[in-house]
Amino acid sequence: MTDQQNYWNPVLETLPLEKLEKLQLNKFSRIFQWAYNNSKFHRSLYDKARITPDDIQSLEDIRHVPKVEKSMMRDIQKKDPFPYGDALCVPLEEVTEYRQTSGTTGQPVYQPDTWQDWEWWAECWAYLLWAQGYRPADRVFIPFGYNVFVAFWAGHYGAEKIGCEVVPGGVLDTKARILKIQELHATALMGTPTYILGMADTARNQMGIDPAELTINKITCAGEPGAGIPSTKKRIETAWNAKVYDHAGATEIGAWSYECSHQPGGMHVNEAFFLVEIEDIDTGEIITGPGKRGKMIITALDRMAQPCVRFDSKDIIEWASEPCSCGRTFRVIKGGVVGRADDITKVKGVLLAPSAIEEVVRSINGLGDEYEVIVENAGDAEKITLKVELMPDSTDRRKSIESKLTDQLRLKTNLRYDIIFNDYGTLERYEVKAKRFKDMRKK
Amino acid sequence: MMTTENELKKIDDKIKVLRNTAEELKGLAENIPTITRNTSRLLASVQMMELNISDCIDFDI
Repeated sequence: MTDQQNYWNPVLETLPLEKLEKLQLNKFSRIFQWAYNNSKFHRSLYDKARITPDDIQSLEDIRHVPKVEKSMMRDIQKKDPFPYGDALCVPLEEVTEYRQTSGTTGQPVYQPDTWQDWEWWAECWAYLLWAQGYRPADRVFIPFGYNVFVAFWAGHYGAEKIGCEVVPGGVLDTKARILKIQELHATALMGTPTYILGMADTARNQMGIDPAELTINKITCAGEPGAGIPSTKKRIETAWNAKVYDHAGATEIGAWSYECSHQPGGMHVNEAFFLVEIEDIDTGEIITGPGKRGKMIITALDRMAQPCVRFDSKDIIEWASEPCSCGRTFRVIKGGVVGRADDITKVKGVLLAPSAIEEVVRSINGLGDEYEVIVENAGDAEKITLKVELMPDSTDRRKSIESKLTDQLRLKTNLRYDIIFNDYGTLERYEVKAKRFKDMRKK
Repeated sequence: MMTTENELKKIDDKIKVLRNTAEELKGLAENIPTITRNTSRLLASVQMMELNISDCIDFDI
């Protein structure tokens, strides 16, 4: 294999749109038929909606297939067979993989996979890693405690599949991980943006090691929207002197999207393996063109043990208007996943996405990477408090930083904030799934 | 370099030979777990090649 091979699969990744749509329709029909025949849950859902596999003749027909919500998956789990319930499409003895969701939004959902499904997970990751420039000569360090969650198991297997050497940095602490990267001359990293930034901070401030002088040249971020937020991406790239690529996936869905090495300002959807529909939150209509945000309804076209058919992911995305210069015909979602339908909240009558605050905080020199947002009731009104950290070498610029921060927040979010400057290092640090947005109004 | 339709068809033919061979092998060695389990894994890899190539042929893409 040579670097002249730009695509993991040049056949599918460059299919013209009409052929891609034909492939998606055929594959949707196949997985729909599979779920209809083998899952009691799906059969019951579709019978109630009076829809059968024969009704799927066009992509428009797919819009009549009922959506599946995460709460439904939780109810399914109360049924047999234990512990997965009646969406399971294969005998239990064919299940080789157990994973579960993090439970951020409620009771975790259990996810069974067969070995074939697990090969598919790795295949999805192979697409994304290849697009990000991973090649067999890479030594990939994964600074992550593997456990019941899918992160970064599939990344590990995907990297192995394309021929990389994988170093599992699981139970090592942050300092030991940095030393191991230094010792082995690792070339690539995978992690959450929060943790990758935290690692750089630890290396610089606690170990006297400049992460930019280590051998890491590319970093794949997942689990949070950070690598799709320009100011956060820039901070990580500067800290490590490496390219940073965004990726989005989910336990119940699979690894469905990725930023390629051309960094088009968004992520490609792997449209040969997934069907992504964007639904207008207000009208429920499917948005087919660029320029309008909605929530993602997604189908994993080849996942068999527990099918993912028209899953309401709540991710907020929009189609980009321009194709990517990399030559892939897989469409791009602009800015990646820009939020979640259940994260975007109204404050003082204005829609607020927490990622917009992060974009502002991390665009300002002199502020640390961490921040915290607290929304609370103050009498009849609502109050937003933003806590940030002032870098030790910027304390004399506090007034100008505060002024810039206030102006930018007003510009980007149309809201006013009470800003509190904390000493550097005093806000909570996270390894995974940072919880920086605290809405106290609901308590 | 573009892959022609004819080349894709040849690749697909070989993938089908692989599947048939693996399934036949699995059937021949029902009482030998190492063969049945390893062919199950092999078939999962074959499936990935089918998703990547054979689907295009089978669905006339």
